[in-house]
Amino acid sequence: MGRGEGFAVAQSDPAARPAGTATTADHRPGAAGRGSSDGRRALFAWLLTPPVVFLALFLIAPLLLMGALSLREDLSGPLLQPWAPTLEHYVDLVETPSFLRLLGTSIGIAVIVAALATLLAYPLAYFLRFRAGNRAALYLLLLLVPFWTSYLLRVVAWRLMLGSEGVVNSFLMSTGLISEPISELIYSRTAVVITLVYVWIPFAALPILAALQRVDPALHEAAGDLYARPREQFFRVTLPLSLPGILIAFFMVFIPTVGEYVTPLLVGGSGGSMYGNIINDFFTRAANWPFGSMLSMVMLATTLIFTAIAVKLINVRRFLAQ
Amino acid sequence: MSVIHALPRTWAVLSAVAILIAACAAPAATTRPSAGPPTAAPATTGSATDAPATDAPATDAPASPITTGSLSVLDWSGYEDPLYWADFQTKYPDVDVNFSFGISDADIYGKMKAGDQSDLFHPYTGWLQFYVDEGLVSEIDTSRLSNWDSVPDSFKQVGMLNGKQYFVPFDWGFTSIMYRTDHVASVDSWSVLFDEQYDDHISMWDDGPGAVTVSSYIHGYDETAVTDEQLTDIQAEWTAQAPLNRTYWTAEYGELDELVRSDEVWVAYSWQGAYATLLGEGVPVAYADPQEGRNSWVGVYGINANSPNYDLALQFLDEKLGAVTGNNLVSNFYYGHTNGDVMAGITDPTLIEAFSIDDPTVLDRTNFTPNLTAEQRDDWTAMWAEVKASQ
Repeated sequence: MGRGEGFAVAQSDPAARPAGTATTADHRPGAAGRGSSDGRRALFAWLLTPPVVFLALFLIAPLLLMGALSLREDLSGPLLQPWAPTLEHYVDLVETPSFLRLLGTSIGIAVIVAALATLLAYPLAYFLRFRAGNRAALYLLLLLVPFWTSYLLRVVAWRLMLGSEGVVNSFLMSTGLISEPISELIYSRTAVVITLVYVWIPFAALPILAALQRVDPALHEAAGDLYARPREQFFRVTLPLSLPGILIAFFMVFIPTVGEYVTPLLVGGSGGSMYGNIINDFFTRAANWPFGSMLSMVMLATTLIFTAIAVKLINVRRFLAQ
Repeated sequence: MSVIHALPRTWAVLSAVAILIAACAAPAATTRPSAGPPTAAPATTGSATDAPATDAPATDAPASPITTGSLSVLDWSGYEDPLYWADFQTKYPDVDVNFSFGISDADIYGKMKAGDQSDLFHPYTGWLQFYVDEGLVSEIDTSRLSNWDSVPDSFKQVGMLNGKQYFVPFDWGFTSIMYRTDHVASVDSWSVLFDEQYDDHISMWDDGPGAVTVSSYIHGYDETAVTDEQLTDIQAEWTAQAPLNRTYWTAEYGELDELVRSDEVWVAYSWQGAYATLLGEGVPVAYADPQEGRNSWVGVYGINANSPNYDLALQFLDEKLGAVTGNNLVSNFYYGHTNGDVMAGITDPTLIEAFSIDDPTVLDRTNFTPNLTAEQRDDWTAMWAEVKASQ
């Protein structure tokens, strides 16, 4: 950890540094200090080259292409020939309330999934940090075991769990609690939420765990010395200190869930489609890339707004925590 | 952040250059089909000039077939099994055949449109016209297909567009209603997909043009000329149907068959492959003969207009029509083969039932899938997206 922080300080802009923390390099005789700083910059430039090139080629360029495609009338003619940009698909979207409503619904589902996953992940992370002791590493490994299996397989497995003749229904029928299978368990939005929460819990636990790792147990002792009961210790010490982790977990689940399409496709049924399914449909079932690109750009813009909120929130919390 | 600030603007320049290179390089590849007329390859019968890359000297292709080299096929998952190109493999064991996959007709079309370099591709009826319009497919020189005479004219017609043979038909089958006989007494109309009795036990194919087809049959619309008003009604009808529908299926094997087998679905829009599979397993299913008529689809292969391996691709297509390949297709996929001799030789009662071979009039009552126009494709798929978004 200490090394990482030193690294972070070294790479930050000298101008942004508080005056008191100016590095010793600045006080060295001019030539040597300058040389070392230039050397570092050159090194970082080299280290940064591969990821920047990679992202430019495989993230930024496709995004630009998609943005351009969303302004194209249709796919006829060669794909990269010049075309007259048109906003007609954006206008179509505004005139098709069902798509926008679905975007709203998807955001709602993402909020529920992110909140539930974060809520359920917190005790896990807390246990790993403060209760698991020497076995923490083992438990962490166990938590990550599901990731060794394909995501698709795990979602398909949920069909075996939740289906009419699935494990849950069979069990309830055999105990006589129900006389007919609960059909809402699968092929519904409920099934989508259950499956997504399951999938995300281990992911959500990691940033919370990272935040809790930084909580010094001595603070608990100090709080105890000041007569804080365990509940107060948690709510007034542990929880506020782990808030950045909680927020990161929430947004880490929320943002990809807005555009989710595999889970709704497999367990959502006729009424469980999310916005991502519609985007997928325009690409793989309609061959209407311009409309699909437009839908993607709108989702990207919406998600960016939420990301901006997230960045703002998390920075503020960090600031307060210091 | 600060490092990025500290760096010179080279990153911005570099990425711009990278994008430019990508943008400039791509048109060179994707405009090739339109550079020459798509029919260029087969029109010049020798077509040796179009196949410079193959290591075999393509001097007189029909007389001396190419026996080495490699071919790539953009296909549907499952067709890569050597069972379904057995004749070619036996005859040309040294030719390397590679497969890549699409998940739907739209997906395959999208890939081809984006400049896929596969020599051959496998679309289905409904989705053929665009390949011709966009110059993505080569004309087939049928004089070089030794098995061509075994293909009935009705199938040849399917692959003929604008008066030219662009596609070689390969597999075909019916679409109708499959139902579980333990829950449903009998089905005589496509409208059973809208029957509230079977609430939550119905499954429709996840496809806009498929939905338009069903509605057209029920209401007697002309499927090739659905009006805007009719399309609005169709959308309303399927939006109302959605709550009755358990789930829309996208895969025949692994999804549709599983839904019916597990009793989740009793009434489904279905191809006969899934039906024959379940029938063979002893699941109590039947395949309707609706009063509006069944639907039938045909799968065809086309040769990429861009392909440097036209001659080898033709040899592949000729062998696709071979008897061993056809019999494998019929007995493993339960799809029909376009070689008439193969179909005439079927003796298995399950298959006779599945293809209604014992009913000589069934084809007269069958509606073949017409080709979509680009406008219909966009309107009908958008309609379906709205149906799914409105729930």
